[in-house]
Amino acid sequence: MLSIPDTYPIDLAPFKSDLKMPYTLTPGRAAGVFLAEIGRRRIVGSRFRKSGTVVVPAQDFCPLSGDADFEFVQAPETGVLHGFTETDAGLIGLIRIDGSDIDFPHRMLDAAYGDLAVGMRVRVAWAEGVEQSILAIAGFRPAANAPVGRVVPLTDPAKPVEVVPYQLTLHYEHAFGPYYGRLFDEIKTNRRIMGVRSPGGEGAMIPPREICDITHKPTGTWVELGQTGTVRAMSIIYLEFIGQKQPPPYIYAEIMLDGASTRLIHNIAGLDMSKAKELVKPGTRVRAVWRETRTGSLDDISHFEVIEGE
Amino acid sequence: MTQNRVAAISSATTELRVAWDGAQHIDLISAVVSDVFKGTGLDLDDVDFVLDSGSDVLDGRSISNCGFLGALGAHHKEESRIEEDGLWAALYGVAKIASGSADVGLIVAYSKPSESDVNLYYASQCEPFYQRPVGFDHRAASGLQAQRYLTSHGLKELDLARIVARRWTDAARHQRVQIKSVPGPADVLASKNVASPLKSLMMSRPVDGAVAVLLASDHIARRVSRTPVWITGLGSSMDRHSFSARKAGALEACEVAAQRAYRNAGWDSLPKPSLAEVSASSAASELMVLESLGLAGSGRALDLLDEDNRSINLSGGALPADPIMATGLVRLSEAMRQLSYPDEYGLKAPSSAIVHASGGVGMQTHCVATLEV
Amino acid sequence: MTTHVGIVGVGQTHHARRRTDVSQAGLVREAVDRALNDAKLTIDDIDSIVVATGPVLFAAVNQPEKWVVDAIGGSLKPVVRVTSGGGTGLVGALAAYYQIAGGLADRVLVVGYDKLSEGALQYSISTLYDPFWGREFAVGIMGFSAAYWRARMDLLGHTEEAAAMVAVKNRRNAMANPYAHVKKEVTVEEVLKSKPLAWPIKVLDVPPISDGAAAIVLSSERMAAKSTDRPAWIRGMGYFCEADNAPSRSMLLSEPLAIAARRIYRAAGITNPRRQFDVVEVQEPYTCFELSYYESLGLCAPGQAAALISSGATQLDGDIPVNPSGGCAGANPIGAAGLVRVIEAAAQVMGKAAGNQIRGAKLALAQSGGGWANLRGIAVLSA
Repeated sequence: MLSIPDTYPIDLAPFKSDLKMPYTLTPGRAAGVFLAEIGRRRIVGSRFRKSGTVVVPAQDFCPLSGDADFEFVQAPETGVLHGFTETDAGLIGLIRIDGSDIDFPHRMLDAAYGDLAVGMRVRVAWAEGVEQSILAIAGFRPAANAPVGRVVPLTDPAKPVEVVPYQLTLHYEHAFGPYYGRLFDEIKTNRRIMGVRSPGGEGAMIPPREICDITHKPTGTWVELGQTGTVRAMSIIYLEFIGQKQPPPYIYAEIMLDGASTRLIHNIAGLDMSKAKELVKPGTRVRAVWRETRTGSLDDISHFEVIEGE
Repeated sequence: MTQNRVAAISSATTELRVAWDGAQHIDLISAVVSDVFKGTGLDLDDVDFVLDSGSDVLDGRSISNCGFLGALGAHHKEESRIEEDGLWAALYGVAKIASGSADVGLIVAYSKPSESDVNLYYASQCEPFYQRPVGFDHRAASGLQAQRYLTSHGLKELDLARIVARRWTDAARHQRVQIKSVPGPADVLASKNVASPLKSLMMSRPVDGAVAVLLASDHIARRVSRTPVWITGLGSSMDRHSFSARKAGALEACEVAAQRAYRNAGWDSLPKPSLAEVSASSAASELMVLESLGLAGSGRALDLLDEDNRSINLSGGALPADPIMATGLVRLSEAMRQLSYPDEYGLKAPSSAIVHASGGVGMQTHCVATLEV
Repeated sequence: MTTHVGIVGVGQTHHARRRTDVSQAGLVREAVDRALNDAKLTIDDIDSIVVATGPVLFAAVNQPEKWVVDAIGGSLKPVVRVTSGGGTGLVGALAAYYQIAGGLADRVLVVGYDKLSEGALQYSISTLYDPFWGREFAVGIMGFSAAYWRARMDLLGHTEEAAAMVAVKNRRNAMANPYAHVKKEVTVEEVLKSKPLAWPIKVLDVPPISDGAAAIVLSSERMAAKSTDRPAWIRGMGYFCEADNAPSRSMLLSEPLAIAARRIYRAAGITNPRRQFDVVEVQEPYTCFELSYYESLGLCAPGQAAALISSGATQLDGDIPVNPSGGCAGANPIGAAGLVRVIEAAAQVMGKAAGNQIRGAKLALAQSGGGWANLRGIAVLSA
């Protein structure tokens, strides 16, 4: 990777970013009924009419054929272990519930890896007080000599669960690289905003990067950009949403700093919001206002303020 | 196969490293995009379209191609993001050129798994109601596959350790993978349990990296090179999501993908290619892949390790270096090298290659390409 | 484009604010069944499947094609997922097109969907942005879109009134669309008075959040007759992009869309889009975009979009009806929306539009796009 002059490796700890996203998932009819019934200790499966294939836990569509026509069945609490492994989640087994045609994965409890054997009989261990989850079954235990159970039609299926709350938490540690590294290091240390000259020579690009986005040629030298700039576009935000950094109303602006040919996103504040439409327009001149704290991010600029009289 | 022959005329890769902590995604991408043209007489202006492979979940960004378009060289060109291994993007690119609507395509694949949680990348592919909550994920799937494979064929963990040691040795030889030290079989057996019987060194090792491949139509390819690497056959297949609904002890989708590719290429169903570059999630599943591709009989892939004229995964394959989303395209790049510079690999006049990519938990989906010179 | 590829079957779900009766997989199956039925085929007749969904963070399942494949019944077929934000549906159709044109398949099923009710949409859209640069200030796509609309107001006259007319037209058209779920007409005054969310974007400028799926079957010429004697032939299709932080990026004209239009029109023999197209379907994430598309697609000159909508030309009875289906105003399952536009355009030239059929429509234009408005494409369809 080529470096432009004055670019050096920066020893910055990676940028941490957490995405915590809430969801409300719909399980659909088959899984919905399974989840509704499991709290009552009824294990629900699907029997697909055309092939007679039984799948436990219940599915809307046969994983073998794709058939959608099925009736609900109730499965026994016993089955056979068809495979197992140990990960840091514990012992995961492939269980064939008696009467089912396909295995499913679940936990093995009260046994060490060495105690298990493919072909051994197993039995459900229920979790106390857990409902609407596959984990209402805490796992399976070895159950030698447990009699073989049968699958029977499910009587009076409960209404399907329609919404299952879920959260996905994703944690990232992003490398700065030398370009973003210097950009944010200068912001934190010297309160300077640095760009790199575009290969064409006109104006500087921020954020700085080694290769120009348009020409795919190496960019030029580092250049300090102005603390003032021109609004290219703006919007007044009233919308509230999860993950928002400040309560509305506020002004979202895309600003071209003096010396730059690309824009940065920030907020404009320090004005009478009731006059926002008149005071802030494309073409309005603005100036960076820095916070007390220094974190080394664009947030070190608290906002941009309108420059009177320009 | 198609109206128009398509060749892979050039490829470029970054070094594959456990962590490219001094670079961002765009740096890796723009490095290979800059490099891939050198020596071909072509440049970005000659490229009609860009197809890129990457993962939002690994990148930590939604529509992640959107912010990388400049680095990809895609500005003002046709572009599409395939959220699957780069070999699928290459498959798309071949079809587009074969249709006659373009002459030169740029295929790019990349990832930086060091920036995120690879286990969560796979676990989040599992259906959320039955599989994910119990802790079923790609490690469990790989462990279950390995358990079955070893017991069915009477193989031992030491056998897996031997393959791992060989692959790492090969990878270290060609210096495109950053390797601090090459593990011997004892080191492999001593590594931490990940999904019994699989130890951590038996799993493919996620690495950061990027790869670019230039595809060209027949008449452009012949201007660029006396011996273009022709992509003569392509096939892909996706197995069932439900792990247990898949054919036990097999990688059925890999078999199907291979048969499609060989038929496409006009090969007989049991090929004898000069070399092969295949992907894998673990040492055991690599053996399963080799058998599914028809390169060895059931339970016999281990024999390939001890052959005299070795030709399998001379790059080391995915075990020492698995840049998720790019692994298959790196296999293509490596196969191209072996066909073009056989002396560096101890190969004698190779004329054909099999390239393989996969994706998903327990290698749910597979793509196979045949190359000929 | 030399090989003839046509759309021989289409299907969509009845889109809804929230479908609590089906999972993502069930939603997909619904659309697939309808498209296959329409094409008089079964899944066994399909050579390959393309799944097109929006960003995975929208609904908690990574690489969801690997999950929904069981619901499609596509096991062991080639399956691939392509994705491009709002442009996903068109990009899916394009990938399928090339599989056939390139000789890899004869019949390809494309299915697009999103179950937006399942996630926190604005938050997940904000993850589009670079975590280092811009994400903390992002307001989904709405903030960015609103800001550049504001810029186009001054320079191109895309007034709030003109955008409100788009809302009025599309919502009225949606009344007849059996698949739309927002069925409420509005007046220009009501739009102008509606609550600003990211001014100038107001509540009634914004499409709904929807759960929905759509599917099409594409066929080579030689197999098409088995499904229909009136396919919607693809005369041209393409999808272009621009780097988001380009110095020259004015957002006044959508350059990738203009490039797409120029290239595809030439390939498809379109020299006067306003006169030649009988009907147009565009994907308007906010009403202001429809005005911008009129100009970028060459339906009128730059700066004339407000005049075009005021003239009534883009109404059902005008000379260039735009969004007779209601566009996104009636339903907006983002990952499917581009495919829905293709379906609506195809249905027009096949003579089987479910809602407002434009009489005698023979040549249709569909537009779709995503990202920061920097991924844009079109399809030209004819009977």
